[in-house]
Amino acid sequence: MAGDALLVVEDLRVSFDTPKGVVEAVRGIDFELGQERLGIVGESGSGKSQTGRAILRLISGNGRIAAKRMEFDGIDLLNASERRMRSIRGNRISMIMQDPQYSLNPVMTVGTQIAEAYRVHSKAGKREAKERALAMLETVRIREPEKVYNLYPHEVSGGMGQRIMIAMMLIPDPDLLIADEPTSALDVTVQLQVLALLDDMVRQRGMGLILISHDLNLVASFCDRVLVMYGGRIMETLDAKALHEARHPYTRGLLNCLPQLDGSHGELPVLKRDPAWLEAGGGAP
Amino acid sequence: MIRVENLAITFGTGRNAVQAVRGVSFHVKEGESFGLVGESGSGKSTVLRAIAGLHSHWTGRIEVDGVALGPKRPRAFRKLLQMVFQDPYGSLHPRHTVDHILKEPLAIHGFGDREARILKALDEVGLGAEFRFRYPHQLSGGQRQRIAIARALILEPRVVVLDEPTSALDVSVQAEILNLLAQLRKEHGLTYIMVSHNLAVVAHQCERIAVMNRGNFVEQMTDRQLRTGTPTHGYTRQLLVASKGFDRDAIAGFVEFE
Repeated sequence: MAGDALLVVEDLRVSFDTPKGVVEAVRGIDFELGQERLGIVGESGSGKSQTGRAILRLISGNGRIAAKRMEFDGIDLLNASERRMRSIRGNRISMIMQDPQYSLNPVMTVGTQIAEAYRVHSKAGKREAKERALAMLETVRIREPEKVYNLYPHEVSGGMGQRIMIAMMLIPDPDLLIADEPTSALDVTVQLQVLALLDDMVRQRGMGLILISHDLNLVASFCDRVLVMYGGRIMETLDAKALHEARHPYTRGLLNCLPQLDGSHGELPVLKRDPAWLEAGGGAP
Repeated sequence: MIRVENLAITFGTGRNAVQAVRGVSFHVKEGESFGLVGESGSGKSTVLRAIAGLHSHWTGRIEVDGVALGPKRPRAFRKLLQMVFQDPYGSLHPRHTVDHILKEPLAIHGFGDREARILKALDEVGLGAEFRFRYPHQLSGGQRQRIAIARALILEPRVVVLDEPTSALDVSVQAEILNLLAQLRKEHGLTYIMVSHNLAVVAHQCERIAVMNRGNFVEQMTDRQLRTGTPTHGYTRQLLVASKGFDRDAIAGFVEFE
């Protein structure tokens, strides 16, 4: 896989300057991505979302990104000009953000926003863009695309907003998609249907996918490989199929504290954190 | 303890009317934990809110502790039944300290001995006295949910209704809160009604479970029936399959249930 890696990240660090000092959100992580489905899992505050944002250099003003190397298809993402980054964002690397209500433009109908995303990157005419947008809404399983096309973001539910975001991010046909909890507001059956759609994009068009989620079981059943993050570091990298043979005590702890359908009413094991996990090289047991 | 008969709730009128709950009936024994599962829009939270008195335009019959309830609830009802909400970020006043949050229900219901009650409530939810003068923004999500639980329990209710109490939390924190809820139920002999979209959470916490879809009960069963995988209705079976993770073949077979 190393030869045809789409994305190479070495020693990525993200830190924020705050009044109380520097907060390190991501503390030196390495990974590669090919044309595959890579999952990043961890609890809130583990640095998984900041990792996704750092790839697109979407870190807020008080944040800093440093890395030995961060390359996408031969492009140095660390030192690319802002102009170059703009041509990459949305077009070649897309990101589905967690909260659709904040990520959509509140004064533009959702259909126009999707059509605009298509026109910016493809120079298509208005009518063609509208047709493509309607088709895309149907692809993400929205029942009445014609009706939804003319709705404003505040008129759609959270789950529908997430599907609209997904439609908008898929329509420019990206090479790499970073999806940050893309389906957390969806019902479990719809969630799986939307993931099946992303799965098609990976299989049929060779798109690379980074799926950021807190749901270990979902990621393990969907992805090819899984990175487990804690405190800004990667605790372990697993073959998704081997998740249940995970050896790191953090991963084991996360798995154990889930209530099981075939379990009992007994007390759930609680995760005990070990400060040693955060020391350099603390990843491997 | 709780008896609900033919409960129906409609929002809106005329052409815009939405029947959120279409006549459901169930009962919960004292000390029992009853779970309502379903997808969004199934009406599960609406049922809970009607019981708690947050919706007033329902039809049917709601009885708690042998008393039939109307749309408006007397003050004593609040001492009998309390609610814990999904989002601890939204359900606590951002400019009130924990002390203020816990003192308010005591003042409304004229409890004496407030100091001791607050300290006891904090202790019961696993937080020490050092949390007493903090603001919600100084607490983690799990700590906030503990405060919300303390606020519900400080009036010594006999019934607690829980609307997705752990769905905004990390799984490690979810385990802690579920353990806390189970322990408090045992210690105080509480009756729970819990709403969740997560089958495993409900199966863990409740002895009896009702599955809802589009305002109706699809089926009612015991936790054992859910665990051993013997639900009879196709909708429940589909939920069970979906909760097991990503499986392309299974997804291809998903259908819509009316």
